[in-house]
Amino acid sequence: MSKNKSEKGFWASIFPTIGSVIGTFFYDYFFDDPKRPGIMRFSFPARTLHWVTAVLIILLGFTGLILFVPGWGTIAVAGWTRIIHRICVYIFAVVLVLYFVTYRKNCLDYIKESFTWTREDLGWLRAAVDYYLGGEESKMPPQGRINPGQKIWQLITILCGAIFFITGAIMTFAKGAVAPGVFQWCVFTHDIAFIIGGCMLVVHVVLGALHPRMSESLRSMITGKISVEYAKSHYGKWYEEISKKQA
Amino acid sequence: MELTRRDFLKLSGGGVVGAAFLGMFNPDSLLEAVPIDIPLRKEKIGEKTTICPYCAVGCSLIVASVDGKAVNIEGDPDHPINEGSLCSKGSALIQVVNNTRRLSKVLYRAPGAYEWQEKSWDWAIERIARNIKKMRDENWIHKDGNGRVVNRTEAIANDGSAAVNNEEAYLITKLCRTMGMTYIEHCARLCHSSTVGALGSSFGRGAMTNHWIDLKNSDCIMIIGSNAAENHPLSFKWITKAMEKEAKLISVDPRFTRTSSKADIYAKMRSGTDVAFIGGMIKYVIEDIERHSANYNMTYIKEYTNATLLIDPNFRGPADLDGLFSGYNANKRSYDRSTWVYQLDGKGIPKRDLSLKDSNCVFQILKKHFSRYDVDTVCSITGTPKDVYLKVSKTYAMTGRADKAGTILYAMGATQHTNAVQMIRSYAILQLLLGNIGVAGGGINAARGQSNVQGSTDHAILYHILPGYLKTPSPEDVDLKTYLKNHTPMSNDPLSANWWQNYKKYIVSLLKAWYGNAAVAPDFAYEYLAKVEGNHSHIAITEAIHKGIIRGLLSWGHNTAVSGPNGNMERADLAKLDWLVVPELWESETAAFWKRPGVDPGQIKTEVFLLPAKASLEKEGSITNSGRWSQWRYECCQAPGMAQTDLWILTKLAKKLKDLYAQEGGAYPDPILNLTWEYGDGPDVHKVAKEINGYDLTTGKLLPSFTKLKDDGTTSSGNWLYCGSYTETGNMAARRDLTPDKFNTGLYPGWAWCWPVNRRILYNRASVELDGKPWNSTTPVVVWNPWRSVWEGDVPDGGWPPMSQKGTRLPFIMTSEGRGHLFAPGEALKDGPIPEHYEPWESPVKNLMSGTQNDPVVTIWESDMDFTGSPDKYPIVCTTFRVSEHWQAGQMSRNLPWLVELMPEMFVEIGEELAHEKGIGYGQKVIVESARGEIEAVAMVTKRFSPFAIDGRKVHEIGMPWHWGYMGLSTGDSANLLTANIGDANTTIPEYKAFLCNVRAK
Amino acid sequence: MAKAMLMDVTRCIGCRACQIACKQWHDLPEVHTTNLGTYENPPDLSADTWTRIEFRELDDHGTLKWLFSKHQCMHCTDAACVKVCPTGALKRDPYFGFVTYERDKCSGCGYCIEFCPFHIPRKDEHANKLLGTGLMGGKCDFCFDRVSNGLEPACAKACPTGAIKFGERDDLIREGRQRVMTLKKDYPDANLYGEQELGGLHMLYVFAERPSVYDFPENPEMPAAAISLPIEKWTGVGLGLLAGAGMLTASVVARARMIQEEKENVKEQE
Repeated sequence: MSKNKSEKGFWASIFPTIGSVIGTFFYDYFFDDPKRPGIMRFSFPARTLHWVTAVLIILLGFTGLILFVPGWGTIAVAGWTRIIHRICVYIFAVVLVLYFVTYRKNCLDYIKESFTWTREDLGWLRAAVDYYLGGEESKMPPQGRINPGQKIWQLITILCGAIFFITGAIMTFAKGAVAPGVFQWCVFTHDIAFIIGGCMLVVHVVLGALHPRMSESLRSMITGKISVEYAKSHYGKWYEEISKKQA
Repeated sequence: MELTRRDFLKLSGGGVVGAAFLGMFNPDSLLEAVPIDIPLRKEKIGEKTTICPYCAVGCSLIVASVDGKAVNIEGDPDHPINEGSLCSKGSALIQVVNNTRRLSKVLYRAPGAYEWQEKSWDWAIERIARNIKKMRDENWIHKDGNGRVVNRTEAIANDGSAAVNNEEAYLITKLCRTMGMTYIEHCARLCHSSTVGALGSSFGRGAMTNHWIDLKNSDCIMIIGSNAAENHPLSFKWITKAMEKEAKLISVDPRFTRTSSKADIYAKMRSGTDVAFIGGMIKYVIEDIERHSANYNMTYIKEYTNATLLIDPNFRGPADLDGLFSGYNANKRSYDRSTWVYQLDGKGIPKRDLSLKDSNCVFQILKKHFSRYDVDTVCSITGTPKDVYLKVSKTYAMTGRADKAGTILYAMGATQHTNAVQMIRSYAILQLLLGNIGVAGGGINAARGQSNVQGSTDHAILYHILPGYLKTPSPEDVDLKTYLKNHTPMSNDPLSANWWQNYKKYIVSLLKAWYGNAAVAPDFAYEYLAKVEGNHSHIAITEAIHKGIIRGLLSWGHNTAVSGPNGNMERADLAKLDWLVVPELWESETAAFWKRPGVDPGQIKTEVFLLPAKASLEKEGSITNSGRWSQWRYECCQAPGMAQTDLWILTKLAKKLKDLYAQEGGAYPDPILNLTWEYGDGPDVHKVAKEINGYDLTTGKLLPSFTKLKDDGTTSSGNWLYCGSYTETGNMAARRDLTPDKFNTGLYPGWAWCWPVNRRILYNRASVELDGKPWNSTTPVVVWNPWRSVWEGDVPDGGWPPMSQKGTRLPFIMTSEGRGHLFAPGEALKDGPIPEHYEPWESPVKNLMSGTQNDPVVTIWESDMDFTGSPDKYPIVCTTFRVSEHWQAGQMSRNLPWLVELMPEMFVEIGEELAHEKGIGYGQKVIVESARGEIEAVAMVTKRFSPFAIDGRKVHEIGMPWHWGYMGLSTGDSANLLTANIGDANTTIPEYKAFLCNVRAK
Repeated sequence: MAKAMLMDVTRCIGCRACQIACKQWHDLPEVHTTNLGTYENPPDLSADTWTRIEFRELDDHGTLKWLFSKHQCMHCTDAACVKVCPTGALKRDPYFGFVTYERDKCSGCGYCIEFCPFHIPRKDEHANKLLGTGLMGGKCDFCFDRVSNGLEPACAKACPTGAIKFGERDDLIREGRQRVMTLKKDYPDANLYGEQELGGLHMLYVFAERPSVYDFPENPEMPAAAISLPIEKWTGVGLGLLAGAGMLTASVVARARMIQEEKENVKEQE
C-alpha cells in the first residue's frame, strides 16, 4: 500500500517534468521564432533527418542489444525484437533514400566533409583531452563548421551504417544462398560495427546532451540555431567565414 | 495423491497384468530407472497388442489409447520376431485409425447415381441379402449338362480377403460355400497361389517351410524374386544377424534393389528367366556331386529325396522333345501324364536304384535334363554376367555340405509368371539336392505378402480348395465315397506315412462343423457342397463377368481395380455387375469405379454397397503369418462411426439369409437352413475360433490336436490344420511365453501357435542323420534321444523313430511315397514333372532352350479386351514391384499422409542408358505403353537398371510400382493397366512380372 | 553415462521406419512432397522432419552401390548452435550429452541454422523472410523424454536391422571400432565418425566409405566465428560501459573545472 502511494507520488512529480521537456522540445522544434537572434546551424530537413534516424537507431540499437548482451537474449523470445529491428531498418533505408534524392547536395557535402582531413585537425587533437575532460578552452584552436571530433562521428555513421546495411542485407536476403561462413562473419562484422558505432553513439549522446562545454548543442539540433557567442567560441573559423559571406 | 509419470505407467500396467489376460503388453517392462525425470510426451506408451496388418512377417505392436482414441503405437519389444522394431508402414499405423478419410457410414450408390447416399446397416444388410437371394435363386444349377448333381450358382462371385482375421476368412468360406458359390477367390491367387502348387508338389505342404527368426541360422541366403528389404523389412533383422555370423547374402533381381544394396553378391537377371538361372545352378551342383560327393549330403539325397526312384521308361523330357514332355496334346494344350510316374515293384512300391546310375532314376533324368543348362546358354538367356553367375553357383553350392544350411527367400518375383510353379519347383529341386529342406537356416521361405494371406489360404477363400487344403468337389465326385476315392492318396510302402490317408477324418469333421446335426452318415451333407468345374480363378472371374455369367460380386477390401491384371478390363467389367458389395476401410478404387476419371456414372447401372469395416487394431481375432504362426490380435481402440468387423457383417448377412430362406423358401434352401451359425449377436470371435479348432462331439470338449479327429461324425473341426489352436488349455494363438526352445535356435515354441501342431520348421525330421543325430549340431531342430526314445526340440514332423529304427517313416509325411520330390510324379503338375525354361508370354527374344516359346499348357484368354504385344512395337521388358513405403493396391498407404510424404507419386524406374536413348531426364514425366493401355509416371532415371545382353542383343528392362490408383490422398496411374490376363499353367496366377512395353518422354 | 546412437550404414536397408517413428512419437505432420526422381523424401530436413535418410547411387569402379545414411542433429559435445544461441533455447544436457532445444525460448535469430557444421537446424516452414518471423522449427531431441524414462529413442527402437543402435556412448564407440575393423577387409575406407569430432558427437556413424560420400563433412569444425562471438560480445559490452562511464566522468570533471574557473574569474574580477 505504502509502496503504491510513494510510487504514485513519484510518477506524479515526474510526469509533468517529462511532459514539459517533451513539450518544450516539440514547441522549439516546430514553433521556434525564426526571428530569434542566433546563427542557423542545422536546416530543418537536417534536423528532421537527425531525429527520425535517432529514434530508429535507438530502436535498432535496443533490439540489437538484447541479442548482443550475453544473457539478455531471453527477452527476445518468439522473435518480437527482430520484427521491430527489421521494420525499423526498412524505414531507415527508405528515409535515407528519400533524403538523398531530395537533398543530394547536403548528403554529398556531409560525405565530403567527413572524408576531408587536414593538418589543422591535429591541433584539435592536441587540445581535445584538456578541452573535453578539463573544460580547458584556451588551447583549442578555432574550428570550422564541424570539429574533427564531430567529423569522426560523421565518418563513423557513414562507415558503420554501410557495414550495418551490407551485412544486415546479406543476413536477411542472402541467407542460405551464401556460404555459411559468409553469414557467420556477417554476424561478427555486424557486431563489430555495433560495438564501434554503439560506443561512439554513447560519446555522441553524452557530448551532445550532457557535456557542459556543449551547452547549446542539443538545443541547436532542435531549433537549428546557436548563439553568436557560442559560434565564436566553438566554431571560430566557421563564424568568421559566414560573417565575411554576410558582409 | 500425486502420481509421477512412471507411477502412472506402472499403475496402468499393473491393472492390465492384474487382469491376468494373456497377450496384454505390460508397459512397466519397458522402463528402467534413470535419474532424470522428464514427463513423456505421450500419456501412455502402450497397453494392448495387435499384429501388424501389412506384410506377413507378423510383427506385434503395442497400442495406447485414451478414451478409445489411439495416442501411441510402437513395436512390441517382447515380440520374438520384431523385438520392438517396425518398418515405415508399421510405424505409420496410427494414421490408419486416426484418419478422417476412414469410412464411418454405410454408403450406397443407386444404379446410375452420381453420388453416394448414407444408409443404415439394417437397410443395407436387408438389401444385400435380398440381392444375393434373388441372384442365387434365379441362377441355381441343380444338375449340369451331363445330368450330374452340382448344386451351385455361378452368378455370384466372392473376392477377398487376406487382410481379415482367420475367423473372418473362415466365415467367408463357410458362407460362400453354403450359398453354392463357385467363384470364390481372394488375393492369394494373385500373390502366392503358385507357391502352394510348387511347394505342395515338392514337399507335401504349400507353405513357407521355416520361419522368420530361423533366417539367422542360415549360412547362405539367396533372395531371388523377392525384395525382402523393402517388402518384408523385418526379415532383414534376422538376415542381418545371419550376416554378422559370416553368412553370405545373394540377391538375384532384374533391378538393383534395397535388398541388393546389402548383398554380398548381386546377380542381375532378366525377368522371367528363373528356371534357366536355377537350372544352371542345378547342373553345377549335379556335376559337382559327381566330382566331389563328399561336399554333399549323399544320405539326404538318396534317402530323403526321390533321386533314387525309377520313373516310367516311357517318360521323355524336353531334351528329347524340343521343350516338351511326353504326352503333350497340342489341341487340348495339355499333357497326358501317364508316363510321369514311378516304376512300381510287385508290392506296388516304387523301384529304386541306390547307385543313382540307372538312366530311369530321377537323378539321371535330372542330370540329362539340366545338362542343357550350361553357363553360356543360361547367361545368354538371363543376361547375368558370367563371372557373377559362377560366383553365385559356387557360393550357394557350398551349402550342400551336411552341416551347412542355405535358404531361398522368394516372393512375387517368382510367383507371378506363366511358369511360376516351375520356377519355384526349380528352387525346391536345388534345395533338395543341397539337403537344405527341414534344417535350421534352410528351407524355402516363401515370403507371403498380406498379413493373413497364409491364414486366408488355409481357410480356402479359393475356388479349388476347402479349408485345410481339401479339394473342392468336382461333378465327377458324385458322392462322398467317390470324392474320397478320387482324392485320398494311396501308398503301399510301409516306410511312407502318407498322411493324407486321413483325408476322410478331415472332410467329415469339416462338414460336421458346418452343418452340425444335418451332417449324418454316410454322406455327412456332402451334397450341400457345390461341385466346381473348370478354372474359376481370378482371371476367370474377370472373364466370366465380361461374359455376363457373374452379375453379383462380394469384394472384401480387395481392390482389384488397382491390383487385377489388365486393369482397364477389370474396371470396365465392374460396370457389368448388377451389384457390388465392398466392405472397406476407405473409399477404394474398386468401390468408386463408377466415378473414376473418364466415365459417366449415369451410364453405369451397378448398385454399389460400401460398408465401413473395422481396421485390424479395432477388432479381435487371430492371423497367420508367413511362418505359419497364428497370433492373436486384441481390440485396441475404437473404430470410426458405424464401422463394424467383417465378422459382424458376415453374421448379419448369414442370419438375414437364413431368415429369408426360412420365411420365403428358394432354390435348394437346405444348406442355408442347416448352416450352423451360433456365435451370438456380438458375434463372439472366440466361438468361431473354437469351431475352427473343433470339438469332440461326444464330450463337447475342444480337441487338442488333429490326430484326435475321427471319420465317423463324432468330431468337428472347421479346419483340421488349425485343430490344436484353441484347446481346453486356452487360446493357443494368444500365448506370449518367451521360453526358448531346448536348442535355442529361435523357435519360441511357447509364443503364439503354429500349424501344424505347433511345428515351427516343416519336414524337420530331414534335419537328422538316419540315427536321429542332427546334420548340424550347432543349430539342431530335432534330436532323437535314444535313452528316452523321444524327439527333443521342435515338434517332429511325424513322431516316428529315426530311419535306422523299426517302425520308422520317411520324413516327408505329406507326399505319398514319403520323400521330397526332385521329380514331381503323376498328376501333381500340369506342365511337367521337372522345370523347363520357357519365355514369358510376352518376351522380346526367342527361347534359346527349345523351340517351345511359352509354357505349352497355359490357358489363353481371348475376350475382346485381351491383347498381346509384339516385340517390334513393344521392345522393352517391363516388370512391376512394390516399395517399402506403400502397401499393395494402396488403400492402406496412399491414405496415410506420412507414407504419401515418403513416396508421393507414381514413378517408373528407367536405366540411365535407356533414358539417354529415349531422351528422358531425371524426374521427367513419361508415358509407358503396352498392348493393353498406357500410363503416365515420373521417370526415376537410375543406375540400378542396366540393359541385359541377351543372345548377343541388348535388351532393356524397366520397372514400376503398382500401388497407385485414382482414389486416396495420392493418386496416380495404375501399373496394372499395362499387365495382361495371362496366368500360370497350374494356378492361373497372372504374369505381372514380365511383359512388353514401350516408353517415351511426355 | 553419456548416451549416444550409432548408425551402421552397412546395416541400413533404407526402409525409413526411423523417419516415421520420429513423426509418430513427436506428432509431427506430413510434408507435402513430389517425386523428384529419387526415393529420397522429404527433400530436406524441416520443422516437421527431424530426421531423414539420404539415398546415394554410386558406381564404384563398376560395382554399383546404393548408400543410405541417416541425417539429423548430431548432438555435438562442443555444439556451435549452443555457443551462438543468444536465448539459451539450445542447451547441452550435461547428463546424457544431448543438445536440447526449447522452442518456447527461441527468438528465431537463426544463428544455429548458419553456424551448425552439419547444417541441420531449419526455420519454420511458414516464416516471413522479410520480417524474419518464425522460430527454429525443431530438430532431433534424442527423444529426451523417452531416454530419461528408460526408453530408447523412437528411431532406434523402430530400426528393423539394428542399423541404429542406442546405448552408452563408450560402449557404442567400442562396438563401432570393432565393426570398422571387420569392415576394413572389404571396405578400406571404413571409418568411425563422431568419436572425436567437435568434442565427440552423440550421433556416431560406421561408414564404409569416406564421410563425404554420404554427404557428411570430412572434418567438421566449430566455426571460428562461433568461437570469437562470445569474446567479441564481452569486449563490446566492456567498451560500451567504458565509453559511457568515461564520458560521464569527463562531463562531471569538466563541469567541476568550469565551475572552478567561473569562481576564479569572479575572484579575479573582484
